[in-house]
Amino acid sequence: MLAVAIAIGFVILSLLSPAFLTEYNLYVMLRSFCVVLVVAFAQMLTLAVGQLNLAIGALGGLVAIAVGGMMEKLGFPISAAVGLGLLIGLGGGLANGLLTVRTGINGFIITLATASVFTGINLGVTESIPFYNLPGPFVAFGVGRFFAVPYLLIPPVLAALLLALFLARTAPGRYLLAVGGNAHAAELSGIPRDRIIVLAHALSGLLAAIGAILAEAQLGSAQPTIGADWLVMSFAAPIIGGAALTGGHISVAATALAVVLVVLIQNGMVLAKVDPYWVQFLLGALILAAVGLNRLRAVRVEAA
Amino acid sequence: MKRSAGRALLRALPALAAVVALSVGAAEASNNKIALIPGGPHPYFAPWEQAAADAKKDFNIAAVDFKVPTEWKLNLQTELIESLLTQGYNGFGIFPGDAVGINTTIEELASNNAPALALAGCAQDPTKAAFCLGTDVYNSAYLGTKALIKAMGGKGKIVHLAGLLVDPNTKLRMDAVEKAVKETGGAVTLIQHITDTDAQEAADQKINALLGAQKDQIDGLIATAYIPSVVAAKSLRNLGDKRIKLVGIDDDKIVLDAIKDGFAAGTMAQNPYGQGYIGAYVLDLLASGICKVRADAPFIKTPQTARFIDSGTLLISTDNIGSYKDDLKKITNDIRSSIKSKYLDCK
Amino acid sequence: MSLASDIELRSGRRAWLSEQSGAIGLAGIVIIFWIVFASWAPGFVSPFNLFAISRTLAIDIVIGFSTMVVLATGGMNLAIGAIGVCSVMLAGYLMQKLGVPYPLALTVALLLGALLGWANGVAIVRSGVNSFIITLASASLYTGGMLILSKAVIYNALPPAIAAFGRMRFGFVSPLLIVALAIGAALVVLFRFTALGREILAAGANARAAQLSGVPVSRAIIVAHTLSGLLAAAAGLMLLSRLGAAMPSIGEDWLLPSFLAPVLGGALLSGGSISVVGAMIGALLVTTIRSGLLIMQVGNFWLLLFLGMMLLLAVLLDRYRTVYAERRSLGRRA
Repeated sequence: MLAVAIAIGFVILSLLSPAFLTEYNLYVMLRSFCVVLVVAFAQMLTLAVGQLNLAIGALGGLVAIAVGGMMEKLGFPISAAVGLGLLIGLGGGLANGLLTVRTGINGFIITLATASVFTGINLGVTESIPFYNLPGPFVAFGVGRFFAVPYLLIPPVLAALLLALFLARTAPGRYLLAVGGNAHAAELSGIPRDRIIVLAHALSGLLAAIGAILAEAQLGSAQPTIGADWLVMSFAAPIIGGAALTGGHISVAATALAVVLVVLIQNGMVLAKVDPYWVQFLLGALILAAVGLNRLRAVRVEAA
Repeated sequence: MKRSAGRALLRALPALAAVVALSVGAAEASNNKIALIPGGPHPYFAPWEQAAADAKKDFNIAAVDFKVPTEWKLNLQTELIESLLTQGYNGFGIFPGDAVGINTTIEELASNNAPALALAGCAQDPTKAAFCLGTDVYNSAYLGTKALIKAMGGKGKIVHLAGLLVDPNTKLRMDAVEKAVKETGGAVTLIQHITDTDAQEAADQKINALLGAQKDQIDGLIATAYIPSVVAAKSLRNLGDKRIKLVGIDDDKIVLDAIKDGFAAGTMAQNPYGQGYIGAYVLDLLASGICKVRADAPFIKTPQTARFIDSGTLLISTDNIGSYKDDLKKITNDIRSSIKSKYLDCK
Repeated sequence: MSLASDIELRSGRRAWLSEQSGAIGLAGIVIIFWIVFASWAPGFVSPFNLFAISRTLAIDIVIGFSTMVVLATGGMNLAIGAIGVCSVMLAGYLMQKLGVPYPLALTVALLLGALLGWANGVAIVRSGVNSFIITLASASLYTGGMLILSKAVIYNALPPAIAAFGRMRFGFVSPLLIVALAIGAALVVLFRFTALGREILAAGANARAAQLSGVPVSRAIIVAHTLSGLLAAAAGLMLLSRLGAAMPSIGEDWLLPSFLAPVLGGALLSGGSISVVGAMIGALLVTTIRSGLLIMQVGNFWLLLFLGMMLLLAVLLDRYRTVYAERRSLGRRA
């Protein structure tokens, strides 16, 4: 499984660089998982119902600057700004879902267009200038840690647990997987397909908003560019973790492991002082190797 | 280098002559429409908006507009420029979204009698841009590294945080850093270049990974792009580490605060306002056909172009952090008042 | 989705007609936009702007084709930008460093594109891993390989014929658009009239059923990826002639536009259904909106917002047109 690849990577890196297992480096690594983890979950939910959400990063950027603007320019308290930011995320996701279901247009096109809308509002409001003066406690949360564990890791872990519970133990969660597995069969057995797709998009938007707020706390400023490079990663993690693009098979744990693996590879290359011209090449080779390893095991298990 | 530049200039001459022939004797109040176009949305270019408004007023130009491509992509920039040309703009101050890729567009502008200047960053020779007014990226990186080495007491190990690897300027900056390091004769060593730190999140991840693993071996950081400067300044503050010296680029508030509080040794200021303001002034003169660029003007030669005018690079440190804006303004006025006699041939 | 199964059920000719009616409908929307822009923004139909549109459009169309042929199999190719840049850099190296005459250099570069695409296809078929993952990783591998070999150096002393072609004008049309249309015509022939094209579509519509009825599905997938690589290389070389220089930053931003054109044109992400003409009109729609908004001087930073809204408006119009047409034809049948 992916866990094996991660364990191998871990051992290699700790042999390669003595600094790898220091408390500070572990903190740094854990911290870099946070945002990616939530973003991967956001995409995972739409993948689960056989949809794609290309607006994750754009929505995240919008939420980030909205929260930053509310705190800096309008003087909102942190809780209110964060709460409203999450609502914007939920609302944006809801809009994606409703547009997709009501019009029957492919979610790919809808979210591509709404992504442009979200980014447009973001740039129109900020003119690409970040908000810097975020309240102290908010920024402190972004850098705070308990030994090697950053506070920033708490929301993603909570989100992962809640999501796993939601998918396994609640009716809407199970419906969600059923719709992705076979929309037609699900509809025949009385599952409200459209409503479930809207739900998946709305939750996806909410998770994107969480990711944006985490990124903002991590960076200590509300950058309009937050989210700009989430897209490929958001797909890569759930899919390396085993989700199919056609829907159905998703796993919270596998997605989380895939995030760990990719972040480990990226960090490892900095630690190993890889020549910049080789970074891209090795990233591709290592992802391929990890997936290949995973695939090999799966085939062997099937054969046995 | 010299020969190719000369050839480029020769090729540019007929275009300039055409400009002169077409629009004879524009009076003081010109009816030129000048556009200032950055590579994409970026806080660095924010002063251009004010510079455009000031230039329009001070030089009595029909229009000087700050036009931003929606995203940091070369094709969006060229589309915007083509569209502005269609709308009757006849002078273009361009930050090349790509130092080489922009040249075909500039050539097209020249063939439509619209002069272009490369502002803030240069277009790679051979180019039809009249000249480049900007920061000499090679020199700036070199001076920054020298300043860093000085702050470190002349010895130690440094890491270079750079922008996109596919951007040709990044290669120049890497070379400049290596040159400054080499000049110490081994007292300073370069541990590595870390590239592609232009996106906020990638920078945060890579720089923190670096500090996490090697902060005890690193004595200095030289950042040659906007975002890694900001991220490195912030990361050092989070670490509470004043031992590692940092020299960044540009005057982002986070970097300036880091200098004030001792987390950064300095930063290489550029002069965006001056680039926009002087650029609009020269473009107006060129587009009116009153002036053309002197063939024997005392341009600086850089690895990118043989026609370069330095818009002013200066190191901001604790000494001049309060006054550097005035220093830049003075530089701007000096260049502006001498540029006509020094570089242009006017009727 | 019901539309898709509907198409599968109909006979070939009716499917073709319905596919074309989709394209015609989309074309109608493009025409509406042209009328609006031409009357509101006078510069929009000026010869120079038309020339600029034709040049941008040409490259967008071929990028769209590159993704479209893989969409036909129900797969994806995230490596088209990487393949494009590898071909461009090879062409630049051959012409500038080795002095290879340009027809030969361009041919070799196209072959490299096909080869890299073929490698993707083989890896996907042999490993059984999703094409999304394989091409995600290979994109990184190809770009990395290009950077290692080229050290990100730019080739800008190419034979003048290259850049001259990119600047050339036939009236107000760039010859690049003619190249794109020619490629489109070849693809129409491939998917409409050859067994190979039909095999690719069959493999995409339902791989298992195709396999059972004797279609060599693996071969179809490999061919589609090879073709995709070839088209990516072609798009890269067109951009090379447009820019007059081989730069390592080419192809970075191809991903979304490459999907936009074919999907707007009616291709299904699940495979089996594509429209060559539709993809061309889809690309035209996007280029039109972008150019029109630029000419109309929509606020600097707000442009993207308007672009998104126009796009939504366009797809909504198209959708309601389709629904309306379906209802009418249902009514007639009843």
